[in-house]
This record gives sequence, structure tokens and C-alpha cells, in this order.
Amino acid sequence: MPPEQRGPLRNQIRRLRFERDEMTQHALAERVGVTRQTIIALEAGKYVPSLALAFQIARAFDVRIEDVFQWADNGASG
Amino acid sequence: MLASQKHAWFTVAVVLSSVVAVAALVPVLGLPRATGAFGLLGVLGFGPLFYRKRPGEVVTDERDAMIQRRSLAITAAVFWVLFVEFCVFAPWFYYGSDGAVPVWMVQSSVLVAWVVVSLTYSVATLCQYGWGGADAA
Repeated sequence: MPPEQRGPLRNQIRRLRFERDEMTQHALAERVGVTRQTIIALEAGKYVPSLALAFQIARAFDVRIEDVFQWADNGASG
Repeated sequence: MLASQKHAWFTVAVVLSSVVAVAALVPVLGLPRATGAFGLLGVLGFGPLFYRKRPGEVVTDERDAMIQRRSLAITAAVFWVLFVEFCVFAPWFYYGSDGAVPVWMVQSSVLVAWVVVSLTYSVATLCQYGWGGADAA
């Protein structure tokens, strides 16, 4: 995951993009219906997506939402 | 650059141009008549053209909407503070001998308020976008 991501929410968008035939940010943005700048902000951890957008991104990668987004203190019992 | 960023830069350019025009005309026409140059603000009416839809292109998304909401909140706060300060301090300087506020003062207040609101909203928007650039987040 990109080292510059701050805050408790982490994401694997950049890694998943490159694992999908090096999908471009523009291609992902088109697929989920946002601008390329929003994808840039997501990957940099500067923007927290809505639940709907998070699900759309997970669906675009054909993975579960937990595989795309993680909470930093994941693993704590609760 | 996103449509919202372009619109914000356009607004800043038009507002600053009108302020410069007014300032340039003050020595020539005097203050009340020079405020006619604020008519340049009418160009802001072309702002919505930045948001015209193009086939297959996302013009604005949820992040843009969030930034616009925040900019609106910041603008409302700045305007309110300045408005209250103006109401408190302006009478000290502009009340006439019969206690009336000059007509040009009322007109200018509306125009200045428009300038402040437009400028504040645009600057707040640009700050949140990181002042533009293709990869600014």
C-alpha cells in the first residue's frame, strides 16, 4: 500500500490496478463513474469514498470490499 | 483540470479584473461612479458553461460535491463575519447628518458582498483541490 496514505482507512487500489493488466487510473475512473482526480485522491488516502463508491470499486476489481479497503486497527476483537 | 477548478479560476480572474477596473476608475470618475465597473461581474454568468456534459465524460462526482458543500460552508461563515462587522462599524463612518446611509453605500455593499462571496468560494474550492494541476488531489 502507498506509504503516503494517512488516517485509519487504507486501500489497495493501486496494487489491484496493476494486478489487472496495469489498469490506468482513467480506466478505473470510467468504470466506476468518477473523475481521474478522485481515483488519485483515493490512492493517496486524501479522500474517503462513499459506501456506494467503495462497493463499485470492489466490483470493478471483482473482489470483496474488504480486499480493497482496510481499517488500520483491523484484527481487534469486537 | 476539473470543471470545478476551471470555474473557480475563471471566477477569481473575473472578480480580480473587476476590482482592478474599479480601482483604476476611481481617480477618473470618483468612487460612486467607478463602481459601475463591477458590471464586469456579469461575465460570471458564463460559469455554468464549464459544466456542460460531454459524451462519456464525468463532469462532477461525489468528491466534487463534497468540496462544493465545504466551500459553501466556508463562504457562509466568512460572509457572516464580514457582514456583522460591516453592520457594526460602517455607521460610524457613513451615517449622514440626518442619520441616513447614502444610497451609493447600499449599492456598493451589495457589489462588495458579491465579490467577497465569489472570491471566498473560489479560493476555498481551489485550496481543497490543491490549486489545480492535472494530478492535484
